[in-house]
Amino acid sequence: MGTIRVRFILVALVVSFFAVGMAAFLNYFKYKSTIGNIVKSRVLVVGRGIENSIQASMQLGMQFSELSQLAQMMQREKSSDRLVRGIDVFDYSGQVIYSTDRARVGQKVAASWTQAAERSKTTEWTTEATDEFVAGISLRNAFDLTVGFLALRYSRDEVELAAAKAGREILLAAIGSFLGIAIVAPLALIIVIRRFEHDLHALEAAATHLEDRTESTLVTTSAFDTSIGHLRASLRDANKSLDDMRAKLDSAG
Amino acid sequence: MLEKNYLWRIYWRLAGVIMVCVVIALAVVSFFSHRVFDRELVPEVEQKAATVANSVRALLLKATSYGVPFDKLYGVEQTFGEVFEENPEFSYAAVTDLDGNLLFARGKEPQGVRDFFRQPAIIAVGLDPTATWTPSHTGQQYFVSMPIASDKPLGMLHIGIDGKFVDNILLEVMLDVVVVLVVSLFFTLELLNFMAGARLASGLGEFAQQVERMRAGDFTATARIRANDEIGRLLRRIDAAIDHLNVRYEFLVGELEDKMRTATGPRREALRPAMNVLENIRSRLRFGSAPKEAEGDEMNLNRIRAPLFAFILAEEMTRSYLPTYVNQLLVPLWGISPQVVIGLPIMLFMLIVALGQPYLGSWSERVGRRRAMLIGASIATVGFAATALAINLYDLLLWRSLCALGYAMVFVAAQGYVLDRTGQQNRAQGFALFIGAIMVATVCGPSIGGILADNIGFRLSFAVSAVMALTSLLAIARLPKVEVRTNTSQRPSRGPRMREILALLVNKRFMTLTGLAAVPAKVILTGVCFYLVPLYIVSIGNTSAMAGRLLMVYAVMMVLIVPLSASLSDASMRRDRYVSVGLIISGLSGLLLLISDSFLVLFGVVFLLGLGQALSIAAQSALVADHCQEEIRIYGHDAVYGVYRLLERLGNALGPLIASILVIFWGYQGAFIAISAMVLVCGIAFTIATRGLDWQPQPAT
Repeated sequence: MGTIRVRFILVALVVSFFAVGMAAFLNYFKYKSTIGNIVKSRVLVVGRGIENSIQASMQLGMQFSELSQLAQMMQREKSSDRLVRGIDVFDYSGQVIYSTDRARVGQKVAASWTQAAERSKTTEWTTEATDEFVAGISLRNAFDLTVGFLALRYSRDEVELAAAKAGREILLAAIGSFLGIAIVAPLALIIVIRRFEHDLHALEAAATHLEDRTESTLVTTSAFDTSIGHLRASLRDANKSLDDMRAKLDSAG
Repeated sequence: MLEKNYLWRIYWRLAGVIMVCVVIALAVVSFFSHRVFDRELVPEVEQKAATVANSVRALLLKATSYGVPFDKLYGVEQTFGEVFEENPEFSYAAVTDLDGNLLFARGKEPQGVRDFFRQPAIIAVGLDPTATWTPSHTGQQYFVSMPIASDKPLGMLHIGIDGKFVDNILLEVMLDVVVVLVVSLFFTLELLNFMAGARLASGLGEFAQQVERMRAGDFTATARIRANDEIGRLLRRIDAAIDHLNVRYEFLVGELEDKMRTATGPRREALRPAMNVLENIRSRLRFGSAPKEAEGDEMNLNRIRAPLFAFILAEEMTRSYLPTYVNQLLVPLWGISPQVVIGLPIMLFMLIVALGQPYLGSWSERVGRRRAMLIGASIATVGFAATALAINLYDLLLWRSLCALGYAMVFVAAQGYVLDRTGQQNRAQGFALFIGAIMVATVCGPSIGGILADNIGFRLSFAVSAVMALTSLLAIARLPKVEVRTNTSQRPSRGPRMREILALLVNKRFMTLTGLAAVPAKVILTGVCFYLVPLYIVSIGNTSAMAGRLLMVYAVMMVLIVPLSASLSDASMRRDRYVSVGLIISGLSGLLLLISDSFLVLFGVVFLLGLGQALSIAAQSALVADHCQEEIRIYGHDAVYGVYRLLERLGNALGPLIASILVIFWGYQGAFIAISAMVLVCGIAFTIATRGLDWQPQPAT
């Protein structure tokens, strides 16, 4: 196989690898972000229920730090969805006031939680911990002032296992199509570059006997015929001149 | 002789075949991905629908617990409306009684849904006190049905999931796949050129040159190392034939000289015809060794294209998301609005490039183009990597300055590389190659960068840019180490002097072109494309990938229209008209937002801006030579063009600053409109100022 043909095939393979790889990458990340959003919004539905309850209590005049039934309600809501690992309510300083996990009450949440909540332009915010995701809601009173934050911790596994499974399938599809291309593209390229290779062969064949002056006949019409004609004519002319000189030298004895 | 477009015809054919294969492969990947999405996402959305239904059911039960009859509940449809607003994948919701009769509903009723509600299997769920929820599928719709029961069964709640929601999710992926396809096409052409074409073109070029030399009687031998491919073998054979001729010639000349030395009288006369033939040969043909010229690989301009493409791509990839990234790292700067602060890194970048370029040109000449490019790409690589790890705005500014310095170094040195290897007859060709690499990078970079930023985040996307810059570094290292200067590039270049800058700044003719055309064109380019579009797109809830797609539209317009407008304006020799029309179209672009702020209108803005810029950009530069002949005569070509480029690039730096100030006062839409109006006014003023002037058009520079 000619080196030029190999290079063209390599180009096809590199481009296909890029395109198929990008398509697989896009599909995988779209899946991952979609499933992440679905799971997050599912968790936030649970959170909205708690938020409504807190706001209703505050509208009745209760203080944010005195919602005695809240812990119980949070426990109930947590058990309504197996995905939710724990629910915390914390104040501006990051101190947990209510939690489904008693040991967490009084402790401080990671600074990234409060930062994410403050950065968010809506009442919803998200952040990540080492082994869990956190979806949160900023709790506002009747005057639209933020009084605290509700955080729902849920397992990363749900999202990551689903993404890994989908990722494997998308990868297999991508590998399959790439292998398909690796077989089809070279064949298609060979057909397309036949004419070009024919031109190159014509050129090579024409140049084969330049040295020993036994000119091969031009194969067929090729894009290089004119050039080959000029090349041969020049060499013929030069050789003829040298032959002439040889003859004159020989005749001089 | 070989047809000029012979190789390009082959490239396009090859690119066509590769694209067909890629489209088929992408269709296969998309088909399988759709299946995965359908199979895996539907159960997840059903689970979510169940959670939502649970919450709605709790509300309904609360109302019934206050004694409101189940079939007389108030505001159920309104609650469903709120559910739809928060969950766009839900398209229908209903409450039925225990017989499956519809009580409350919202959304477009799917065909046959009432029969579905009355199916015994569905009614059974409502009557089963232990049932939680059940998923089912009817027509195009997925349903989640949940029993509503207090102390006794009351009815059922049904949430309908739009069967096309997966299609809607994949639509965005499809847009990205189309972008990948366009990028793949350009990428194919670049790779064809890099992996095969550069050598092929230079080999065929050398063959054609050799044939021409032989036709002209030049049989001097060149001692070059040939590649071991088809063209290399062919050239080796021609070399061998020439060597053979040279040996024959040397032998004959030697023999004749020997005979002449020893011959006397009639014998010498007998050798006279041979002498005459030799004289004749010497007058027509040349033998011996060819003068050693810096030809071959050292002169191969194509070799600069790949490293330049890779390097520019690294920077272009950041265009669609840089302002959004800066927004994330924002720290309050006393007395400066956050809008201006977001534009600071872009301004600083442009300013360093503008001020650095005139002086880096002579520096790269001193240290060598290859070395300058190596240093520039190394600095930029560090800059990109550090940007990916930036802590806040302060260090980001420093890292972006490194990127700018590296960019200016590589840009100028690559430009010098082309200048060094071209003469008057092939300089335009050399610069077409240089600009081609940049254009292709501007098409591919923002779109791919946007996609990456959306999926892997800003920091990792900058890391990808660092890898790309590193790749360019490796490609630069493979450039010939030998520095080459053609006769026409011997004159050392210099940056414009202060007195030249000052003199030209107050020159009416020069400033009409620069101040009314070149600078506004750059202000609108960087202000709109690099600052406003990425920020506005994200502010209306779109993604960086969408910003990238829009910037790609701009770049594609440039790639398609610039060559056409350049040749048309050169042919008509009325470059001023192209500049006027281009500026006016650019100026009208942002005014479209007066009609609507929809996404389609924004697309129109970028499209018109691309069209306007493409029409004027080539003519503008050539117009300097037409318009400022007197100034060129006084200050010299280099000085006039140097000041022109400097001011143009300062316009690049001003763009984000002006746009950010306008955003403070009038918001994004107002900024689009105001900046466009300013360019429109400049365009009209330029048209009036240049109307009826006595033009002395010069060939394109």
